[in-house]
Amino acid sequence: SALPSMATPLPPPAPDPQFVLRGTQSPVHALHFSRGAQAQGCLLLFSGSQSGLVHIWNLQTRRTAATLDGHGGQCVTWLQMLPQGHQLLSQGRDMKLCLWDLAEGRSAVVDSIHLESVGFCRSAILTGGWPHWTLAVPGKGSDEVQILEMPSKTSVCTLKPDADAKLGMPMCLGLWQARSSPRPLLLAGYEDGSVALWDISERKMCSHVTCHEEPVMGLDFDPQQARGISGSAGKALAVWNLDRQQALKVHGTHRLTNPGVAEVTIRPDYKILATAGWDHRIRVFHWRTMKPLAVLAFHSATVQCVAFAPNGLLAAGSKDQRISVWSLYPP
Amino acid sequence: MAVFDTPEEAFGVLRPVCVQLTKTQTVENVEHLQTQLQAVSDSALQELQQYILFPLRFTLKTPGPKRERLVQSVVECLTFVLSSTCVKELELLRELFSELSACLYSPNSQKLAAVSEELKLAVIRGLSTLMHSAYGDIILTFYEPSILPRLGFAVSLLLGLAEQEKSKQIKIAALKCLQVLLFQCDCPDHPRSLDELEQKQLGDLFASFLPGISTALTRVITGDFKQGHSIVVSSLMIFYKTVSFIMADEQLKRMSNVQTTPAVENRVAELMVHREADWVKNTGDKLTILIKKITECVSVHPHWKVRLELVRLVEDLLLRCSQSLVESAGPLLKALVGLVNDESPEVQAQCNKVLRHFADQKVVVGNKAFADILSESLHSLATSLPRLMNSQDDQGKFSTLSVLLGYLKLLGPKVNFVLNSAAHLQRLSKALIQVLELDVADIKIVEERRWNDDDLNASPKTSAAQPWNQIQRRYFHFFTDERIFLLLRQACQLLGYYGNLYLLVDHFMELYHESVVYRKQAAMILNELIAGAAGLEVEDLHEKHIKTSPEELREIVTSILEEYTSQENWYLVTSIEAEDMGEELMVKESGLQAITPGAHSYQVTSFLAFSKPSPTICSMNSNIWQICIQLEGIGQFAYALGKDFRLLLMSVLYPVLEKAGDQTLLISQVATNTMVAICHACGYDSLRHLINQNSDYLVNGISLNLRHLALHPHTPKVLEVMLRNSDASLLPLVADVVQDVLATLDQFYDKRAASFVSVLHALLAALAQWFPDPDDLRQLQEQSLEEERSQRPVTLENTTTAEDIEQFLLNYLKEKDVADGNISDFDNEEEEQSVPPEVDENDTRPDMEPPLPVHIQIATDVMERCIHLMSDKSLQIRLKVLDVLDLCVVVLQSHKNQLLPLAHRAWPSLVHRLTQDTPLAVLRAFKVLGTLAGKCGDFLRRRFCKDVLPKLAGSLVTQAPISARAGPVYSHTLAFKLQLAVLQGLGPLCERLDLGEGDLNKVADACLIYLSVKQPVKLQEAARSVFLHLMKVDPDSTWLLLNGLYCPAQLLPPHPSLHPLRLQLSGACGQQNPYSANVLLLLRELQ
Repeated sequence: SALPSMATPLPPPAPDPQFVLRGTQSPVHALHFSRGAQAQGCLLLFSGSQSGLVHIWNLQTRRTAATLDGHGGQCVTWLQMLPQGHQLLSQGRDMKLCLWDLAEGRSAVVDSIHLESVGFCRSAILTGGWPHWTLAVPGKGSDEVQILEMPSKTSVCTLKPDADAKLGMPMCLGLWQARSSPRPLLLAGYEDGSVALWDISERKMCSHVTCHEEPVMGLDFDPQQARGISGSAGKALAVWNLDRQQALKVHGTHRLTNPGVAEVTIRPDYKILATAGWDHRIRVFHWRTMKPLAVLAFHSATVQCVAFAPNGLLAAGSKDQRISVWSLYPP
Repeated sequence: MAVFDTPEEAFGVLRPVCVQLTKTQTVENVEHLQTQLQAVSDSALQELQQYILFPLRFTLKTPGPKRERLVQSVVECLTFVLSSTCVKELELLRELFSELSACLYSPNSQKLAAVSEELKLAVIRGLSTLMHSAYGDIILTFYEPSILPRLGFAVSLLLGLAEQEKSKQIKIAALKCLQVLLFQCDCPDHPRSLDELEQKQLGDLFASFLPGISTALTRVITGDFKQGHSIVVSSLMIFYKTVSFIMADEQLKRMSNVQTTPAVENRVAELMVHREADWVKNTGDKLTILIKKITECVSVHPHWKVRLELVRLVEDLLLRCSQSLVESAGPLLKALVGLVNDESPEVQAQCNKVLRHFADQKVVVGNKAFADILSESLHSLATSLPRLMNSQDDQGKFSTLSVLLGYLKLLGPKVNFVLNSAAHLQRLSKALIQVLELDVADIKIVEERRWNDDDLNASPKTSAAQPWNQIQRRYFHFFTDERIFLLLRQACQLLGYYGNLYLLVDHFMELYHESVVYRKQAAMILNELIAGAAGLEVEDLHEKHIKTSPEELREIVTSILEEYTSQENWYLVTSIEAEDMGEELMVKESGLQAITPGAHSYQVTSFLAFSKPSPTICSMNSNIWQICIQLEGIGQFAYALGKDFRLLLMSVLYPVLEKAGDQTLLISQVATNTMVAICHACGYDSLRHLINQNSDYLVNGISLNLRHLALHPHTPKVLEVMLRNSDASLLPLVADVVQDVLATLDQFYDKRAASFVSVLHALLAALAQWFPDPDDLRQLQEQSLEEERSQRPVTLENTTTAEDIEQFLLNYLKEKDVADGNISDFDNEEEEQSVPPEVDENDTRPDMEPPLPVHIQIATDVMERCIHLMSDKSLQIRLKVLDVLDLCVVVLQSHKNQLLPLAHRAWPSLVHRLTQDTPLAVLRAFKVLGTLAGKCGDFLRRRFCKDVLPKLAGSLVTQAPISARAGPVYSHTLAFKLQLAVLQGLGPLCERLDLGEGDLNKVADACLIYLSVKQPVKLQEAARSVFLHLMKVDPDSTWLLLNGLYCPAQLLPPHPSLHPLRLQLSGACGQQNPYSANVLLLLRELQ
């Protein structure tokens, strides 16, 4: 690894986690923050583990409030709360997407979708037209993404790149809708290191840019600035822009000391972002300038996921079975 | 007994007597009359009242000097008549009143006549009886303005008597009579209450006497304490009843400003008073002076009944004259609140009753003037408080603080008016801080050390009714009386209860930060404020007072706790031992090799870091107290929040636990108490339960602090305490933090090894306890069975039958066969055992071994570290590591695949300990070896015999002649200790390793020499112990060996055809030699 150059002074000593959640007894693969269903409900953190369990953490007591077991012991890779605050989506390697009802202390699977791919790809949702919402999941064909209209589970379309594009499997997805346009858009990172923008209504790929040499592991997008970031199995983070013609352009790349980023997440206020590193470290950057702010060394194994809470709290889940919670640069 | 029921009869009898008396006025005649009167019925007497009274009154009115005795008997007789009759005519009442009054008056001197005490008493009683005999409403007509001079005369007469007489009886009687005259008599003869107009008339009339009555009574009240309490009590009562009657707000508010001229003669009109505003103001001012005098004097009256009466005085005056006597409210309230903590429970109770009554009636809170006065009083008290606390003695402080407490109680929520003024708050807090200054000169507190580790296992005791009130006894600079501290605590609690908690906490937090000088006191006050705010023991006088909400309280407590447990307030220097150096004794070794001839000295030096400028005892003592106060605070906060406190445990439990393990006795005691408090408050059964249930919080603290070990050197200690109080259910958590511990240990091998090794020890001890080996359990059971069996009387012991011998021989032959390699049925068993282990079907990766149980993984990791640490330069660490190693072996015994390679790697270092280390280490190493031998004997036997035994045996042999020659000093040398250690360790080891014959012989040969009486006694003992163990392994050859040394008796061959056996090597059989004694002892064991 390279020594820091004279130009960039050493960052101040890295802080400690505010606290650490233990007890998953299995590597942590997915994290998601949500306010409880009640108006004054306290902050909850959902964690999905390799053993197939979803733990619900009460951040006031820092203890598990409940455990959900719905993926037959297969790794839980993605967790997302629906806007009304008591329905949770969980995706597992058992090729199932479960919809949980958590209202009033319940914990029952009320609906589930069979996925047609085991893939590593996490799903994504778009809830602009609530109570109707859109779900993007890895499709049947290894390079396909399937779009579903929810809650009716009607298939809207399947997005399949041109056969000669050779993008490989989709690795990560992001759905969003520009404020000016009613058309939902999908960002997908592919196995070949490229990021593609799809127009769902027209079922076509609008733009495509290769920004990594290795598979894209995670991406996040800032619609305010029409700019996104992606991390890969390689040693670089890529920042790309979306111009008015809906063309993706690489804005810049940021070299990392060690390869492998499992997830990239921008804080809801679009001020900072965090990466989950295979080198056991969480890296925090200034989103606008991409200036490195902190390297958080706490975990003793690969960090698999990072998530931000609405109040700015950062959580990271690791293969070392711990979830570290950090309070950094309070918004 | 009345004999004469009708007036006629009575008249017949009484007439001559009355005539006689009119003629000759003698005592005898008066007494005669009185005797006759007793035989007359009341009704007859009433009829004849005027007639009978005539001669008596005539006697009194006869001009010229009279004999006192006669006057007295006349007055007594008159009193008798009046007591049985009513006076129905106003004129008669007036005249009798004047005539009786005149009896005590000397017309010349305008003063009390110098008459006998008996006469005075008789007159007083007469007056009293007269007033009681007035019939119906005439008593009210009696009190018309024209009576003013005469009444005034009587009143001043009685006041004079009450004030100047020597006789207590007269004084009391005079006061009683005064009560009657002033309409205050509480006997049932005055049933009717007065209407408004009547009250006004009487009030107008009595107002003329008010100056006289009040001043005279004040003189009586403030007179000598020795005059008897009943006089003061009566005077007080008359004082306040009179004042509250005349000055009653009820009456005064109806008073017009224009005087209605009553139809009276001029002389009387001059005497009359009109109670208009000016008069009220003037009188009020004058009364204030008197009231001040009275309250000051009576507050400290030694008799409680007097003080009780004072409480009533305050109540009456404040309730009835709150406007007219507004100026007196200050002293009155002060007197009242000053008695809140009176030593007499009756006074206290009355006081509290009055306070409650006031609160109910909103006397203070509803009355702005009073509230202002109270605030003003509290302010001026606050102003003088620092000075008073400085200058007063304990008693003075006690009463001053009682007053403070009373003000707070009375003001209730209004106390915020005072607190909102920065100047007031400043004064008040300054005084509190000053008086709470601790005396920190006690050196014992710094010196006393905690030694035992296990006091945490005690279950919490519930001894006190108010457990939150229990705090450590402490000593103050400015007072010694424990009650004063109690008052101060109550005052702070009241402040917390009624005051604006945010304001107060902010203020005292500021003082806490401001200076070390204030810190302890500020913390004490903060603790009490919170206890008070929670209303734990505050008796609320003011209902519907809005208390601090639980959420707010929790928020405030959280912020205080953050301060208390912050780095700079929690980790204070409390002992001179520098953290990183002095923890253990530094052992200076003189670089010697174990088991080398020659005497060595080895010294233990207590190494203290004196080179640094050391903190003074006082500052350390002060720091200890600060920590203790903060710990107590945490306990109080727990009680204040109850179950809500559970949420704070995530940040608080760790620091408290850390202090429970503190080396300073006081701190660890207080911390333990705090934990007990937390248990109670949060509903945990025991400390173990508390720790167990919150291990996740503790682990969080431990793992984060391990990252900054230099800042948190005590972290390992907390883990240790946690481990000792946990159970196997916490293994996942423990496993998690152990990874942190090991990672940190790897990082700090040089500096912090000692504290880590003790954690590893606690960890392995816990694992060994949580996961007992099934074999061990079986062994334990067998052992107990064995014991049971051995307790039964053995009957078959010595009856060896021929079959037994035959069986023995057969077994022997079979074993010999096996030993020779002719294996037969053992093969099958071997095969059965070597069936490959079943493959877990669920395991999708068959090439990988199933993961180890967590505790085995931990033990493996730890044992790995032990291998490195076993050769640490500190003896203490080496010893501890050997213990840890021992435990590792125990935990790993059922996992030979892990144990054996590790044992293999540990071996060289272990050998080094056995052969090259100090005696203590040698002994421990032997213990480890013993455990290893029990768990993996085969592995060890060969290596032991090859690597260790020759060296040990060799050194024993070479050292033996030296110890045989040495003097008594030798037992202090290292060489001796090593010999002893080796001899003590060999025996059990040989037994456990199940050594072969040749090796056993090596051991025996090396030890034999030590059976000589020339060797030091202890070495002989140790050598005997070796042989005792050898006997268990191979009794026959040991027997032979011992007999070879010394044969106590000629052994006779069982058959004459056999040769006699000669065993003893040198000398004749039975001939004494240096070994005889020990050999005899051992042989006795063999039989």
